[in-house]
This record gives sequence, structure tokens and C-alpha cells, in this order.
Amino acid sequence: MSTFYFIAFLSIFFAILVITARNPVHSILYLVLTFFTFTIHYILLNAQFLAIVNFIVYMGAILVLFLYTLMLMNLNKDNEPMKSNIVKIAAVFGGGCLLVTVVASLKTMTVSEPVVLQNPDLGLVKNLGKVLFNEFLLPFEVSSLLLLSAMVGAVLLATKDKQPKTI
Amino acid sequence: MTTLIILSVLPLLLLYLGLFKANKTLLPVSVIGLLVGLGFAFAEWNANAQPIFSGMMLFDRFSVAFSSITILSTVLILLLSKGYFEKISSHVAEYYAIILFALAGIIVMVSFHNMVMLFIGIEIMSVSLYILAGIRKNDFASNEAALKYFLMGAFSTGFLLFGITLIYGASGSFNLEAIRNYVVESPREISPLFYTGLLLVIVGMCFKVGAAPFHFWTPDVYEGAPTLITTFMSTVVKTAGFAAFLRLFSACFATLSDFWAPVLLIITVLTLFIGNITALYQQSFKRMLAFSSISHAGYLLFAIVALGSASASSVFVYASAYSVASIIAFAALILVHRQSGSDSFDSFNGLASKNPFLAFTLTVAMLSLAGIPLTAGFVGKFFMFSEALNKYQIWLVVLAVVNAIISIFYYFRVIIAMYFRTTDRGEVAVPAYYTFVLGLSAIITIVIGVYPALISDLI
Repeated sequence: MSTFYFIAFLSIFFAILVITARNPVHSILYLVLTFFTFTIHYILLNAQFLAIVNFIVYMGAILVLFLYTLMLMNLNKDNEPMKSNIVKIAAVFGGGCLLVTVVASLKTMTVSEPVVLQNPDLGLVKNLGKVLFNEFLLPFEVSSLLLLSAMVGAVLLATKDKQPKTI
Repeated sequence: MTTLIILSVLPLLLLYLGLFKANKTLLPVSVIGLLVGLGFAFAEWNANAQPIFSGMMLFDRFSVAFSSITILSTVLILLLSKGYFEKISSHVAEYYAIILFALAGIIVMVSFHNMVMLFIGIEIMSVSLYILAGIRKNDFASNEAALKYFLMGAFSTGFLLFGITLIYGASGSFNLEAIRNYVVESPREISPLFYTGLLLVIVGMCFKVGAAPFHFWTPDVYEGAPTLITTFMSTVVKTAGFAAFLRLFSACFATLSDFWAPVLLIITVLTLFIGNITALYQQSFKRMLAFSSISHAGYLLFAIVALGSASASSVFVYASAYSVASIIAFAALILVHRQSGSDSFDSFNGLASKNPFLAFTLTVAMLSLAGIPLTAGFVGKFFMFSEALNKYQIWLVVLAVVNAIISIFYYFRVIIAMYFRTTDRGEVAVPAYYTFVLGLSAIITIVIGVYPALISDLI
């Protein structure tokens, strides 16, 4: 239990650093750390597959993509646009609405029965594979169409036409 | 299931044909493949279909009927593509392949029996369409259309997925039957999560079918995309979107209609008015058709608002009528655009004196879209309105009739331009394929208009 509290504290701590960091690159690096703590959470919950996917896809792929985009956009303090008053008022209004909603939902909240998993090994890769290749075999196979179509399209859009004709 | 397999293998075959530079064979092979798929779809016509693949798909009458109409419309659109893609670039095979991938996704969308399949079907279709909208790489409008469609589509997919997740969280299953049992068995103990999920699914689906206030991507995307792709998007894709929408709601949420019907009612009325009134002010024929497709989405939503046993067949009749008439309109637009280089209403001036056949078929299409009797459009509107009247949605029908009258005004502008305005113009060249598609579509429109029982009792 103390591990959980420690990791939870780290998650929140890094999450706060993400939004307070001045430099966007630092902000993203803190986000990487936040996601890393999530991975540890998943391991504590005995969800191997989610932990690996979170580690590879979120930390590895998506955040690196973020970093690249930041590099391309070249965000400096000089060219950050000044926010007008209307935007500020709208932001305060929106934040206030969110606060009211959150407070209202907290008021009606009750502590629910603790969820007891029927099978504590539910998140193991072995069990996931069994579900994926038995019950969810058809969606798994049909997704290949999605990937193939996206791949053909990406190649199509990226190749240079030899004789560009405009109509 | 065989249809889906054929439609998945056919694009691969086309890609290989493209690899071996057999560009002449692409169109015949894809049309023949589609017709074979259509034949297998008919062979599965069966009143007591059972879910297959552990409840993933269900090929019942509904799914066979909608698969057939989408495949037929695609065949008509592909016939129009003769010589169209060659002008854009030399990678013709890929275009055909991606259109057929989208169609495979559509088959999944109209036959799903599990939310996972719904989501995968919608994604296969959407990803293919994002690419198709942007195939004119050197055209700024086409790039804009693709990017807008992609961003908006990804955004709406987020809503849909979140909705599906919440519904799964509340009911504990993706299976439509299990969700229905959850709703029916304990109507008083439905979790609030379920209602939130339902609303998010409505938002996601309304984005996909282009209903107001989630329609704002439609005009720019429809105008910027190549006309043939716009034809595909506004006919086949719209039909599939509504089929999926209706299938989901009639299978799972029918008993909760007190909760979601008012929401959809407001969306319907907004869609009708925004579509029709904005269409009045358009100078471009293509943009007018984009707004008219929004207003037709409003009429199609009637079937879901007044959900009943006849909803499926009225959506089927309406979508068929609308698809066929739109194909004529877009085919005429492609021909006129080829000659005059402009999309405006003025480019149709005096068309009747030089091309009486083209002008006649376009007139039939416009009358059908406006819902004049003896055309298929009237029958479709009649089914929609009578069903809404059965549910005592009298005000809704009154508003819809007002909108139908507004729509007559802008549809007739084309007819007036063709027959009563004269300018010096040459004859528009109509290739044989186009004559075939135009003639067949006009005949279908009139036959359904005169004898609607042909298709109205199918489902």
C-alpha cells in the first residue's frame, strides 16, 4: 500500500510540474515521467499488457512525436501570442463552470462497493491473448483492413507524381 | 460474410493489377467484383439470421438491404470514374483500392452486432475517406478538405469512442443484445454513466452523418474534395452512417426513447433549417448540393426520432432515392464542370437546348430531391412523414413541410437555368458510361416513384 501512495504522490507531483514548467520541452519531459509512474501503477494492478503498451506507445512513440512537433514549431517566449481580455474572461468562465460541475458531482458522490475482480490475473498477456483470439478474433482481423488502407493512403499521399497535371 | 471477404480481397487484387500496370482492367475488375459481392449478399437473404463470430456480425435483412444499396451506388459511381482519376495522377489502382476499402468498412458498419465492429467499420471508412478527399495533391482546396475532414473526424471519433466506453462500463458488454438486456431488465437502475455514454454516441454519430450543429465540416469538405469523391461521400457514406445509427438505436436504446428523442428532435429541426436556408444563398452548384445533403440528413433523422418497426424500410427507401438522385446531380456537375470549368449555377444556362437528355435526367434528379410526386424522393419523404405522424410528432412534420417548400426554390434554380436562360454554349460531351448511369438512375428514380412497393417491403 505504501508503494501505491508513493507512486501516486509522484504522479501528481510530476503532473503539477508539467503545467507549471515554463519551458515546453521541460514540460514534455515531466509528462514522460508522469506516464512512467502510470506504467508502475498498471504493474501494481497486475495489468502487464497495459503497462507495456503504455510504456511503448505513450512514452516511446507519442511523446517523442510531441517533442518533434515542438522542435518544428519553435516555440519561444518572444512569439507567444498575447492573450486578449476576452480570451481570459472566457477561460475564467469555462474554468468556473468546470469547478461548479466538479463540486456538484462530488456532493452527490457516494463510496461504491469495492470492485472485486473475479479473476485477478485478468490483465495478464496470456489471458488477453486468449480473449483476443477467441471472442474478438473477427475485429482483430478486420482491423488489418484499417491498417492496410491507412498504409496505402499514406504511401499514395507521400509519393511524388511524375507528371503533375492540374485540372 | 462472403461479401465482406470479397470486398476485402478485391482491393488487394486491384493493387496488384496496378503494380503490373494493367490500368485498363481496373474498372472492369472492380465492377465485376462488386457485382459478385452483391450476388453473395443476396444469397444471404434470410429472415432468421443468427449472429456469427461470437456475436460480432449479424447478416439479417437490414444488413443485406443496406449492403446492396451501397454496393449498387458504388458501382454507379465507379462507372462515372472512367477517365476521371487518370487526370489526377498515374496511381489509379490505389484510388480504386481505397474506395473499395471504404466500402468494406461500410459493409461492417451496416452488419455489426457488437460495438467493437461498429467502431472498426466507421474507422475503416473514415480513414479511407480522409485520404480520398486529399488525392488532388496540388490543389489547395483538396488539401484543406482532407485536413479539415481528418481533424474533425478524429475529434468526433473521440466522442464516439468515449461514449462506447461509458456504455461498456455501465452495461459490462459490447454486445448489442447484452446492452439491450441491461436496459430492458432494470430500467430504473441504469447507471448515469450509461446516459452520458448515450449522449456522447449521439454526438459522435451526428458528426459522422453531418447533422447540425455538428455539420460545419461538411460544406468545405464536400466542396474541396474531388467531385467524384464528394459523390461517394454524400451518397454511400451518408446511407451507411444512417444505417449504423438506426441499427444501434433500434437494437439497444429503443426503450429509452423518452431520454434521447428530445435531443434528436432538436438536432433534426436545426439540421433542416440550417441546411435549407444556407443552401438558398449558394452560388455554386456543388456547395448547394453540400448544404442540401445536410438538409437530407435532417429528413433521414426523422426515422430515428420516430423509431418504430417501419423505420428501417423508410430509411432504406429515402436513402436509395437520395443516393440515386445525387449521383445524377453530381454526374451532371462533373460533365458541365469539364466543359465550362466552373461550378456555378450560371454554367448550367441553356443546357437544355444542346443536351436535352442530360437536362432531362438532371431535372428528374432535382424533382426527386425536392420531393415532387411520381419521383422516388416523394415516396421517401412520404414514408418519413407518415411515420412521424404515427408518433404524433405533428409540429415536426409541419416544420419539415415548410423546409421542403424552401428546398423547392433552390432545386428549381437549376431547372430554370437549364430551360429558360439562354447563352451561347457548345454541346457538353457525354461519354457512353455517363449516359448509361444517368439513364439508369433516372429510370430507377421514376420506377420507385411510381411503384414504391418494389423496395419498401423488403426489410
